[in-house]
Parts: sequence; structure tokens; C-alpha cells
Amino acid sequence: MGELAKNIRKDLTVEFRNRYALSVALAFAAVATIAASIALAGTVPAPRVQSALLWIVVFFAAMNGLAHAFVREEEQGTALFLRLHATPHTVLTAKLAFNIALLAAIEAVAIPLFVVFLQLEVRAPHSFVAIAAAGCLCLACAVTVLGAMVARAGGRGALFTVIAFPVVIPALWVLIGATARSLERPGPFDSGSVLFLLAFSGAMAGVSYLLFEHIWEE
Amino acid sequence: MRNTESAIAAHAVSARFGRVALFEGLTLTVAPGESLAIVGPNGSGKSTLLEILAGLRRPTAGRVLFTAGGDDDARTDRSRIGFMGPRVEPYPDLTGMENLLFAARGGSSRERAAALMERFALRPHRDKLTRHYSSGMRQRLKLAIALVNDPPALFLDEPGAMLDEAGRALLRAEIDARRAERIIVMATNDADEAALCSRRTALG
Repeated sequence: MGELAKNIRKDLTVEFRNRYALSVALAFAAVATIAASIALAGTVPAPRVQSALLWIVVFFAAMNGLAHAFVREEEQGTALFLRLHATPHTVLTAKLAFNIALLAAIEAVAIPLFVVFLQLEVRAPHSFVAIAAAGCLCLACAVTVLGAMVARAGGRGALFTVIAFPVVIPALWVLIGATARSLERPGPFDSGSVLFLLAFSGAMAGVSYLLFEHIWEE
Repeated sequence: MRNTESAIAAHAVSARFGRVALFEGLTLTVAPGESLAIVGPNGSGKSTLLEILAGLRRPTAGRVLFTAGGDDDARTDRSRIGFMGPRVEPYPDLTGMENLLFAARGGSSRERAAALMERFALRPHRDKLTRHYSSGMRQRLKLAIALVNDPPALFLDEPGAMLDEAGRALLRAEIDARRAERIIVMATNDADEAALCSRRTALG
């Protein structure tokens, strides 16, 4: 636990000092949302369109930052330092925690921007919050290990997005549908979608833990 | 005394990159109290062999066994090796002290880190980001990081590179202090550094 806390603290300290991942992600979220708002010229889009736009913005805003969790280690020459001083599963857990925090920060900025610029109106707030939280977990679990694979293969952010997109399509599909329903009408808690997203997260996290040591050490 | 039980044994180790063979069928052992200098021209595979012996890279063929404290393949516990080399960079956005504390394991790590900062004349720079360190200061920090857990086996890749005369004297003193009990393996092109070791293996 001490080693994990040390790794998470290290990742957050490094990000806090250079703000590379967060500033790029938040800038993209803000620019994309405002650009969509200008293009729509005051028209309020249908909930399904709002939902699709929200998750597209969150996904692509996250891609730069999420890729950097591992790519930056390789670029700076710190990957071997990290391999020497932390166990593979600690590294993965710390990067996963960092990516969840990054996605949460992106959502915390993107959702209010959508409320202001695209007149997003949430009619089933419990479902909406649960789906946003599960979406954050889901995307982070799905792409963290992919970031490690791309980084170890000497790849960069663009390759990461191309690889990540087909992996997260099932989750995005459910996220867009469930978010749209929470915007359309008040209704019972959408436990089916939340459970699917949690199960998807669990499966991706499980696969990541099985594969990561091999990816990281080879 | 776990350190006295440590040993490295490499059996028929080969390294290839595509069709290019760096070395083939290399067999060697290094016991505690022995220090090995790996020498050879640029591109002969010194750093590759050092990383293979430290368990950071798989050989193309052959196997390396590292025992420490009676455990086989103790490299899985990397606090038992200290590794310093040009491919192991400290975090540029952490301070020297933060990097050292990140590498330190076990109790009293802050005291050990502070003592090493003092010994390597880095105390005035302990709270400076390492991106602002000079090459020589970064090299001193790398050596301090390799030593912070007082490992039974020390792997040093061109340790004297970038160091000034005072830094080289510190390096010699640290190696001298550990030669009797520890395993030291060094890849170097510097004849003075190689002379610090009890044995040599030439590549290329």
C-alpha cells in the first residue's frame, strides 16, 4: 500500500508540475464544446445528439492525456527507473488511478460546459451521475494497458487513439444510450447500463493485470 | 548477512539484434567480494550484457541466475540490485530528494536519502527539480539512487561519465567501500574505472 501511494503521489506530483496531460485535455474539451455550440447557433440538440457529443468530447480529450501516462515515461527515459523501483502491478494500479483522476477532471469540466453552451438538461440525475462515474472508470480501465503497449512499442498518441477506439466502442455505445435516456426523461435508476459498464471495467482491468507484467518487463 | 550469499551466474548467454550478434555463448560467474569490469569498443554490447546480468533484459539465448539471501532469481525483488546507467533517468519534474525517496525502500529511507545527498555534495540542490541539474549532478544523483537501498549487487554503466575529479573520487570511494562484500559489475571504456575491478571480461 505504501508503494502504491508513493507511485500515485509521484504521478500526481509530476502532472501537477508540468500539467501536460490535464491542460491539453481540458483545452480540447473546452474548444470542442464551444465550437459545437457556435456551429449549432443556439439550437438545442436532441438528447441523443447531446449525449453522443459529450462522450466524443470526453473520449478524445482523454486520449492525449491517457496516452501520456506511459508514453511520457518512455520519452523521458524514466521507464527503466520505474521498472527498477516499482513492481509492475503497482505501476499499473498507480497509472490506472491517475487515468481515473484525469477522466474525472475532464468530466468535471466538460459536463458544466455542456450545461452552459449546449443547454444540457439532466432529468434523471442519479442515473446520469452513476453513468458518468462508471464511464470514467470504464474508459480508464479499457485504455490504461493499451497506453503501456503503445509506449513499449515506441508508438505515440495517434496510434493509441486508433487502437483504443475499437476496444471502447461497446462501452461508448452503452454510455451514449444510457446518458441520452437520463437526459430525455425522469425514470428509475438505470442499473442495467451501470452494471454493464462496471462489468466491462472489471473485465478490462482483469485482462490488464494478467497482461501487464509481460508488456512492462519484455 | 544476506549479502555474502549473493552470486550471479550466466550460462551460455547470447544477445542478438536481428541478424547482428553482439556476443554469443558467454558464461561467467560473479561472487560476493568480486568485481567485474566489462570492457570493449562502442557497440560491442557492454550495456546490453550489464542489463542482462541485472535481469532488466532477456538474453536471446542462455540464462542468468542471480541468488541473494538464498533466493534464486532474486532480481524480482529489485531492491536487491542497484543499477546506474544512461538509460535510467530520474524524473525531471521531481526534485533530487524526491527521486531518491521514490527509489528508497524500507525503514528510515528519509535519513538514508539525506545522508546520500550530503555524501554526494547534492544537499544544496536537494529541493531543485532534476531537470535543472547539470549532467555531473545528475550522474551523482543516479549513483546515490543506485546505492540508496544498500543492495548486495551493484551494476554500473559508465559510472564516471560526466563526473568531475571530485565526483570520480567519490565514485572510487564508494566502490572501495563495497568491494569486499558486494557484487560489483561495471561496463566501462575508462581504464582507470576498469582498474577498480578485480576481473575483466572483454567484448567485441
